[in-house]
Amino acid sequence: MAGRIKSVLDEILRQKSGGHPTILLATKTKLILKGLNPDKFTAASPDDPAVLTKALDAAREMGIHL
Amino acid sequence: MKSLHSFSLVPDTTAAVREIADRLAAPDIRLVVYFASPRHNPQALAAAMAASFPGVPALGCTTAGELVSGRMLEHSLVAMALGSELVTRAHIATVRHVAADTSAEVARAFATLSDAFGAPVADLDPARFAGLVLADGLSGAEERLMDAIGNRTNIPFVGGSAGDDVKFERTHVMSGAEAHSNAAVLAVIETTAPFEILKTQSFRILPRTLVATKVNEPRRQVLEFNGRPAVDAYAEAVGVPPAELARHFMSNPVGLIVDGEPFVRSPQRVENQSVYFYCSILEGTELAVLQSTDIVADTGAALAKVKAPDAVIDFDCILRTLELRQKGQSNAYGALFAGIPTIGFSTYGEEYIGHLNQTATMLVLHS
Repeated sequence: MAGRIKSVLDEILRQKSGGHPTILLATKTKLILKGLNPDKFTAASPDDPAVLTKALDAAREMGIHL
Repeated sequence: MKSLHSFSLVPDTTAAVREIADRLAAPDIRLVVYFASPRHNPQALAAAMAASFPGVPALGCTTAGELVSGRMLEHSLVAMALGSELVTRAHIATVRHVAADTSAEVARAFATLSDAFGAPVADLDPARFAGLVLADGLSGAEERLMDAIGNRTNIPFVGGSAGDDVKFERTHVMSGAEAHSNAAVLAVIETTAPFEILKTQSFRILPRTLVATKVNEPRRQVLEFNGRPAVDAYAEAVGVPPAELARHFMSNPVGLIVDGEPFVRSPQRVENQSVYFYCSILEGTELAVLQSTDIVADTGAALAKVKAPDAVIDFDCILRTLELRQKGQSNAYGALFAGIPTIGFSTYGEEYIGHLNQTATMLVLHS
């Protein structure tokens, strides 16, 4: 399977920022500081279980509904 | 009243607070922020400040140097009162045991703040509400603290880690009439007008990258960069022999680059073949090597972009302060803030979104 990590990170950015560019950049920075750089993943990125778990944890911690 | 600020060089804490309180007298103070040399007893200081500003939320911390409009100071007390023309309301909460159970303690502090505002902090408008954070500078918990805050709100929090005049023995944060170690103090401020967060560091990004391939995150230790002993890879990237690397730490830290903006991670010391940093680095993190530029010129340029501040609270890295002192630029740096209502302090780390080094982060308020 592929693309799940990108999908989770995109959903975090979408829900957290509500389209506000400043909050979008701040949220992206928060994710990078957690070790999850959204720019490093694409729809073709393999679903590495450890990274996917980290992304799902980030979503849960940020109160994102997936 | 927009803001009032002052400083005292009087060594006696009671007398210093009296001097400050006389100068900051106003009927519409919404928040008091203060920074003090550890020569002042933190508990006595907190109690005296709370007694001098009854009914007003007050927070502060110990420092490794202070800053006030036009001057860099040592062994002083600096304070600012924010008035009703800048701040509608403000509330503070203490994060106790910050190093032990950071997320749960931040949740408790946020519950306190939500009760005070009558609305969940998560629902407050990040364009109108700003956060201040002061953390125990020796807790080693700032990364987790900022992560836990950032998970819970979009309100931008800016702040610094308390100091102790470069003794690295004990630091304190103050909240109301109490002083704490192993704690952080949060303030959430509803502003009357849009505010700005200024983040400035004096480095250019070199086209040399290091990937942290083996780390001990809790110890803020990198054992390997690029699959090689950290010291060897870092020295090669800087272009110096490994034995000389530590001499280049101040001028060549590394940065996590986000949209072209460095989030500086400063190396602290070499131990065997590993490098310890002043903030943790996650395994797999790609970092750019940085080259220092002129702190006075760069900060001046950053301040010039800010339109007529009515109050500035500056959190300025102790490593920047030490470099300014070494280069004889302390007066020139202080002069950058002349005419701007400012207080600040030399920190053991700066906070903005995450935990930073060799950076100045500032809350800039407008009416």
